[in-house]
Amino acid sequence: MISFVEMMHLALHVGLPHFLLLSAVLFAIGLFGLFTKKGIIAVLMCIELMLNAVNINFIAFNHYMPATDLSGQLMALFSIAVAAAEVAIGLALAFRIYHDHHTVNVDDLNHLKG
Amino acid sequence: MNDLILSLHRLIDMGMTMAEELGTPEIILAAVFYVFAGISVLGALGVVLGRNIVHSALCLTASFIGIGCLYIFLSADFLGAVQFLVYGGAVAILIVMAIMLTRREDMAHSNPSRSIPHQLAALVVAGMFLLAMAAVALMSPFQTAPADIGDTVTGIADLMLTKYVLPFEIVAVLLLIAMIGAIILAKGVDES
Amino acid sequence: MNFLAIGTEIAIALLMLIVLAADLLLPKDVSHRRIGVISMVGLAVILVYTFGQYHIGASPTFFGGLFFVDNYALFFKQLFIIGMLFTILFSLEYTEKLLRYRGEFYVLLLSALLGMCVMASANDFITTFVGLELMTVSFYILVGARMTSEDSSEAAVKYLIVGAASTAVMLYGMSLVYGAAGSLVFSEVCRNIHLFYAAGLAGVIMVIIGFFFKLSVIPFHMWAPDVYQGAPTPVTALLAMGSKAAGIAVFMRILYTAFPILGNFWLPLLAGFAALCMIGGNIMAIRQTDIKRMLAYSSIAQAGYMMVGMAAADLAGMKAVLFYAMLYVFANLGAFAVLTVIDTERGGTSRRDITGLAQAAPLLAAVMTISLLSMAGIPPTAGFAGKLYLFTAVVERGYLWLAFVGFVMSMISVYYYLMVAKAMYRDLTPEEAEYAAPVYVPLTVRAAVLVSVFATLGLGICPEWLASLTNAAVQTFMR
Repeated sequence: MISFVEMMHLALHVGLPHFLLLSAVLFAIGLFGLFTKKGIIAVLMCIELMLNAVNINFIAFNHYMPATDLSGQLMALFSIAVAAAEVAIGLALAFRIYHDHHTVNVDDLNHLKG
Repeated sequence: MNDLILSLHRLIDMGMTMAEELGTPEIILAAVFYVFAGISVLGALGVVLGRNIVHSALCLTASFIGIGCLYIFLSADFLGAVQFLVYGGAVAILIVMAIMLTRREDMAHSNPSRSIPHQLAALVVAGMFLLAMAAVALMSPFQTAPADIGDTVTGIADLMLTKYVLPFEIVAVLLLIAMIGAIILAKGVDES
Repeated sequence: MNFLAIGTEIAIALLMLIVLAADLLLPKDVSHRRIGVISMVGLAVILVYTFGQYHIGASPTFFGGLFFVDNYALFFKQLFIIGMLFTILFSLEYTEKLLRYRGEFYVLLLSALLGMCVMASANDFITTFVGLELMTVSFYILVGARMTSEDSSEAAVKYLIVGAASTAVMLYGMSLVYGAAGSLVFSEVCRNIHLFYAAGLAGVIMVIIGFFFKLSVIPFHMWAPDVYQGAPTPVTALLAMGSKAAGIAVFMRILYTAFPILGNFWLPLLAGFAALCMIGGNIMAIRQTDIKRMLAYSSIAQAGYMMVGMAAADLAGMKAVLFYAMLYVFANLGAFAVLTVIDTERGGTSRRDITGLAQAAPLLAAVMTISLLSMAGIPPTAGFAGKLYLFTAVVERGYLWLAFVGFVMSMISVYYYLMVAKAMYRDLTPEEAEYAAPVYVPLTVRAAVLVSVFATLGLGICPEWLASLTNAAVQTFMR
């Protein structure tokens, strides 16, 4: 086992693992929300959290790796653009669901069944 | 936009020189990291645990901004600015608008969760994911050699307009399609 | 810069813009069939053009090999274009009668096609991701395009939530692969030994899970039945043939070119999930009463058959997958053309709605039966030849049990396909006399179903025609 002092030293020496852990924590929180939230808008917010966690990964890798170019940052940029498009569609759909079914709860959408 | 980036740069540089003068740059860097990481994690928890969906949306924005600051910490200043503008600005406003358009009578309980057993199951799944990824993050011997990439705006522009010009154009089509889609989906409601 | 390499994509994007402009110029209360005709003519020209792009030597690339137009990609592009062309053809009537935003519908179809074509050629994770998202975002909107139907919006929301979440999982995997391999380009990823580290393995697993979501592989399939049932019928057709084939195309390229060194690890995984899909999909399809929902489970099983070929991981296996993907398109065209007519005329696609179709529209009943038999793999339809190729390829690689599972499950699938045939051909009771009234079958639908039947039977009798094309496609894979 590593000692407390060593652990403190590791924790204070900010590096790649810190960012990977942070992104894993954010992704896990988003995942938890995805499974537990009922409202469509809340679910979409959780998905946005997950996508943000991924971007942290890309940018952290791009910064700390012996990278030759900025393709990690570029991927994060495209991911932001795509996420914005997805959230626009998602919110328009939430609006329509609210109109069609008079609810925004995912659990109440159970007309389609086998 | 450029001014924003420049002033951010200046602030970061100032922080770095200050840290070096103090002789303890590590601790200061760690403090900066933990503050912003704390903001983003607390914000994320607020999204998931909040009972009022407006509060959740505010927490989400705080989380986005914390993450944006971390991008700048990682010397991805352009991405940080994009994060503030797109997530902290556009997406946050879009979400608040959607909340207002789908109003409920009782805002205090507007962000319901599923039953406790459901939550426990989700907790187990998320916890297992977290453990697995923590193991990956701590055990993989990544080669780290932070290189000074320099001006990221130029670097990204170079990539985007040479090697990755096709994805760039496709994203433009994607945004057009998303616009058309959002319009017809929301407009269809009015006319039916 | 070799613009000829992206000629197909440029042409589709131009066609999309032309259709968008034409829709704006056309008065609102006028028939929008002419816009459909413009799209079809354009797609037919592009299809002919792609035949000219087949080559023997080195493949043309765009920007340093990031966009690879090998014969493999061309084959899949033709498959998407054929699927789209005939879907527009048989859904002209449906679009005119049941959809409100008709011009935008065609624009969205073409943008989905553009995304698929980009995916087929993509040779790095950025292009893959962007193409995939263009396709899925277009499909989110298309699934919700039937404004008057509440099922349509419900299906769209479910598709969007699952689709966006699976995108997040796949992106997380891509980020870990990027971290381990230090690059996003397939040819550089595959050379990097660091892929064997925990991060690389975790990344590969998450990318594979992301694709399993997109291909609706059991146990990541829960969205597919609801979405297939709720979506407008032509869109369901495209989800089953286009979206799935595009997923297969890029999944196969990623596995074979980016992660080949981990082959010992993902091949058994692929074989296991293929078996799970074939068993689960076919068994769950039996108790469905809605034909679209049944075809959703059947498409899960079909994805399983195609993964059998991928598990073979050699030229014969790839050839079989390509062959099967193409014949599956023709079988789906027939089945969904019939369902589209039923949906337009009788307002539903349950087994009740197809009762007595043999008397109401004998042509449609016959086409439906032949298409379903092709999906089940009964000779002399093309499905039999396709399954023969798939199972022989995998048996040669030593997966005898997998071929056995596939064979048994194909036999079981005949049961529920024939249940549909029985509903169409059985004698009507006096109370059901209304179902014998003739159903109006537009000329366009007749043309589409005849093509699909001729292709299904023709390829069943002379599979060599298509086999030579798949040969050409496989021989230049990544060359």
